[in-house]
Amino acid sequence: MTRYEMKLIFEERMRKLLPNEQDFQAYNKIIHTGPINFIRCNTLKISPEKLIERLNKKWKVVQPYAEFPEIMLIESDLGPGELGNSIEHVLGYYYVQEVCSMMSAIALDASPGDIILDVCASPGSKTTQIAAKMKNSGTLMANDLKLDRIAILASNLEKAGVTNGIVTRNDAINLCNNFKKSHIQFDKILLDAPCSGEGTIRSSPKTLLMWNEQVVNKFSRQQKKMLAYALKCLKVGGTLVYSTCTHAPEEDESVIDFAIRNFPVKIEQISLPLKTRPGITEWKLEKFSPEVKKSHRIYPQDNDSEGFFLCKMTLLSEIKEEKSIKREHKNKY
Amino acid sequence: MNISFIKSNQKKEITEKLKEIYGISNLPYLLIESGKEKIRAFSGSLSKEEILEISEIAKIEVVGGYLMRQEGVDDLRLSFDAPLILQEQITKAIVEIDKDQFELWIRGNDIEIKAEKGNVILKYNGDFVGCGKSNGLKIFNYVPKDRRLKTTIKSQ
Repeated sequence: MTRYEMKLIFEERMRKLLPNEQDFQAYNKIIHTGPINFIRCNTLKISPEKLIERLNKKWKVVQPYAEFPEIMLIESDLGPGELGNSIEHVLGYYYVQEVCSMMSAIALDASPGDIILDVCASPGSKTTQIAAKMKNSGTLMANDLKLDRIAILASNLEKAGVTNGIVTRNDAINLCNNFKKSHIQFDKILLDAPCSGEGTIRSSPKTLLMWNEQVVNKFSRQQKKMLAYALKCLKVGGTLVYSTCTHAPEEDESVIDFAIRNFPVKIEQISLPLKTRPGITEWKLEKFSPEVKKSHRIYPQDNDSEGFFLCKMTLLSEIKEEKSIKREHKNKY
Repeated sequence: MNISFIKSNQKKEITEKLKEIYGISNLPYLLIESGKEKIRAFSGSLSKEEILEISEIAKIEVVGGYLMRQEGVDDLRLSFDAPLILQEQITKAIVEIDKDQFELWIRGNDIEIKAEKGNVILKYNGDFVGCGKSNGLKIFNYVPKDRRLKTTIKSQ
């Protein structure tokens, strides 16, 4: 796979986030290597015990996290496409998924019977993980915007044997607004927001070429708006997990800070099975609420993974709609 | 998606037919008619009315999972994943295949094997591996293209 060097401005930003030289060098080294092979056992179709027994007949497979036996790491060297072309994959017994990306659904902590909205669901890795936790009960609404992405999402839900899902094709903001107007509310919401993808360099080296600060700022505005609308269709006492696969504070802590300042939310302190670092409280000229420290930054050099960010919040009281939107525009635009 | 729920009397007929063909007697789902005589199964907690209410404010593309296809008046062919979802109930129309036959089957080929005429479920090494239609001498392949293997598999 062709690898690219960091743009100067990207390097400067990453050095600010990783001021320790050794740490930065470890980051710079690992992003120039391909990702390791994680899979997630699809417990809707097979138990982790049975799956690992089968897979160990052809590969060396380990379960690195005792509390999450469904997470498996393939330690054998694999040929191109081998992971996606096994019988077990064809039958939907496992999903090829980077370990960081599994953290959103772990943080959401879905239970059977929940009513859940996955706002930007395609391709469905997190959606299928949530459905497995729900044991196909409750209701899982999985939304995305474009038809081609919906096709991939629907195909992956099918393959995973998900039967409690409703797939919708809508603009996320319109959808949440319509739910709010119709008084349809959810117990839990996952907002895995579209982002600049700084955390995906190992699997998509071209991200380094495509990256620019304007895109980061554009996503930041969009993410704040999405979060504002998503919170409005969350039940009081319900939880929302916000995640991105980027390290850009504009798309991470700044979005969480926006939620803290404009909505009655409490940021939850949660533990995850990966090494994470706390959210930062300052970036450029912005100072964030100390509460954003409860967010989780995941760097590739800490876990031999991709990069990620997530934060879990609880809605404490009803949102007064008009007031919140005005604040959002007044403060930020 | 045009959502059309299958009425209870029709669901009863479907369940009876499934029991007769495959031994499946319990369908704890809302059944929904989808395009091309497809039937989908929804195990979620929302009622028909709630789903319809949502369809008025959101573009619904898919509800539940694809379960089977109605073929003519009398026959039901299960989807690739349905036998995996309903595996504990399936007792009839099972055709066990060997490794060579499986290698052909999972790559989208018809296989020559004697079996009772009609829709059958193929089983290899303990796994249900999709459904086909037998003419008595040959089973016609219905493995969806995106679920076929493309490379030689390692021995199990």
